[in-house]
Amino acid sequence: MNSKALALVGGLMAATALAAAPAKADVKIGLLGGVSGPIAAMAPSMVEAAQLAISQVNAQGGILDGEQLVGVVGDSACNPQGGTDAATKAVNIEGVTAIVGPHCSGAVLAAAGSVTIPAGVVLVTPSGTSPEITGLDDNDTVFRTVPSDDYQGRALARTLKEQGYDKVAVAYINNDYGTGLANSFKSEFEAQGGEIAGYAAHEEGKASYRSNLAELSSGGAETLVIFDYGDGTGLTLLRQALENGFFTNFIGGDGMKSDAPIKELGAENLTTFFASSPVGEKSDALDTFNEAFKGAGGDPDAIFVTTSYDAAFLLALAVEKAGGDKAGVAAALREVSNGEGEAILPGEWEKAKKLIADGTAIDYKGAAGDQNFDEAGDVPGTYALFKVEGDAFAVVSEMK
Amino acid sequence: MDMLELLNFYIIPGLVLGSIYALGAVGITLAFAILRYAHLAHGDLATLGAFIALAIVQASGMPPLAALPFAMIATAVVAVGIDKGFYEHLREKPKIITVMASLGIALMVRAVVQVVWGVDAESYVRGIVRPETYWGLRIKDREIWTVVFMIVLVAALQIFLARSKWGKAMRAMSDNPSLALLSGIDNRKVVVLTWIIAGGLCAAAGVFLGINTELKSMMGWQMLLPMFAAAILGGVGRVEGAVLGGLIVGVAEELSVLVLPSEYKAAMAFAILLFMLLVRPTGLLRGKVL
Repeated sequence: MNSKALALVGGLMAATALAAAPAKADVKIGLLGGVSGPIAAMAPSMVEAAQLAISQVNAQGGILDGEQLVGVVGDSACNPQGGTDAATKAVNIEGVTAIVGPHCSGAVLAAAGSVTIPAGVVLVTPSGTSPEITGLDDNDTVFRTVPSDDYQGRALARTLKEQGYDKVAVAYINNDYGTGLANSFKSEFEAQGGEIAGYAAHEEGKASYRSNLAELSSGGAETLVIFDYGDGTGLTLLRQALENGFFTNFIGGDGMKSDAPIKELGAENLTTFFASSPVGEKSDALDTFNEAFKGAGGDPDAIFVTTSYDAAFLLALAVEKAGGDKAGVAAALREVSNGEGEAILPGEWEKAKKLIADGTAIDYKGAAGDQNFDEAGDVPGTYALFKVEGDAFAVVSEMK
Repeated sequence: MDMLELLNFYIIPGLVLGSIYALGAVGITLAFAILRYAHLAHGDLATLGAFIALAIVQASGMPPLAALPFAMIATAVVAVGIDKGFYEHLREKPKIITVMASLGIALMVRAVVQVVWGVDAESYVRGIVRPETYWGLRIKDREIWTVVFMIVLVAALQIFLARSKWGKAMRAMSDNPSLALLSGIDNRKVVVLTWIIAGGLCAAAGVFLGINTELKSMMGWQMLLPMFAAAILGGVGRVEGAVLGGLIVGVAEELSVLVLPSEYKAAMAFAILLFMLLVRPTGLLRGKVL
């Protein structure tokens, strides 16, 4: 495991070194990721997936007039400061045409607000899920290939109400992720006529949350909705709630769908625990990607690799469509994935290039979904509610 | 809210948490009193102790409490080794350099824990334990053990400091280092002894935190602020003060939820720390150092 991580880091460094001295006429795309920081474990696969898209482009005739597409890796460190620094370097020094990333919502908001929007560079994040990103005043330059948490919060609220939960308490972690999810859940749940009998944020990393839980349960709710991470504070919270019998039912967001609660608390104690999570729609596009990524030595089940791949491939298509014009990339991005035209699957660069040259409309069908952007540059998601069965999660129902 | 609910959900968790803080704070206060610097690697040493106990539990199948003495010894050895390897060379330099060095040690110890055990949450025993009810009070066995062990360890330490030759030497070092040296006390032995005790208490704090919650690589670091707040609240250099401070900080954190929004719970220790430094820097029990 560790040697693999080392190899990945080595690979990233090599990629950075290669990217530092490209040939003269290359087209550069920034690949900003949380290479260091809290999501350092996830970032290498995500960057690898984006690199796969780039290598496919180069292997199939390159971009524009046979030029090479080059991914310039930058470390956004999963925080606003790192995001801004990495984006500044990519835009002003490397002169990238567009950016895939950054990975974390906080970094996306900062990089977009202070660098890419003023510079007019298109940014597509594969994993920034905060609802805040939707509301950016971005001149249509900020997109994402991952659904906003707003969809998840609302879908979860509707599903719970439908299944007869009328009164719940909500505990959420005090960061962009938890706050965004909790806010959209609350507003939809109340709009559906449900009652929120307790609603409180908590700080991560405390040893005891029993007083928080006592406070939340004093509203009389039997169900606790937790927006937190299942291998972090969420686990402590769930354990203490179960042990002390504060609540009988537990619902988690996608962060809680982690193996840690099953491993540490035991499946037999989690019979009343459900978690919502985005589910990949089975499609030919996904199979094609899985095959290609496996062939390139990647793990297709790793988190956010499909969205990372889609972001890079879409940007390559958009750059091709815009003829390399930086200012035209945003409009071209919408054109190559608006649900109309000849379908392009992951890896079909040669075909797409030919169709674009002929002036035929194309429509990219991504590994993570159809990737048809709405007005804010967001994509809708599909979610399902999971329960614990045996030692794994199993789907209970679709969430609409 | 009735009395029982207050006791069950606020006071008892606060006392258990406070006992864990107290174990760490006693070590901090000793290091402060005898070595004269704030030791920032204390939290991460506690993490290391907790994970060493985990390794013992997983290898031998013994309960975590039985593994505790071994973890305490191992962590004490590591603490002495860190002192020999790093702090000893900085002894003659201004103290602030040692404080900064201890921050570096904290990062190193944490990195070692992350390399060896990974960053996932772990626990000693799989599954959950529901509390027993004693006259309406909901208490878990492990919570009783936590408080009892804390009291036993601290009482033993107090007796050692008051009665034994080396305990007296340590107190002498803390009261007046120059005079202690002049009267023939072996400085190096006192330092080693201090690290053995601080390291052992660190491991105890880590193991009890692990028993009551989960083991995470950041668990000790996140306890550092409350532990420092406890040491300063009680009076730096006073062992019984550190215990009192730990219990007060623990209970105050839990009770703060009643009046403050819960996201500010973590700020409670910080507020206590600031308040004490402003109003009564010597602490509740008149510390000897600050």
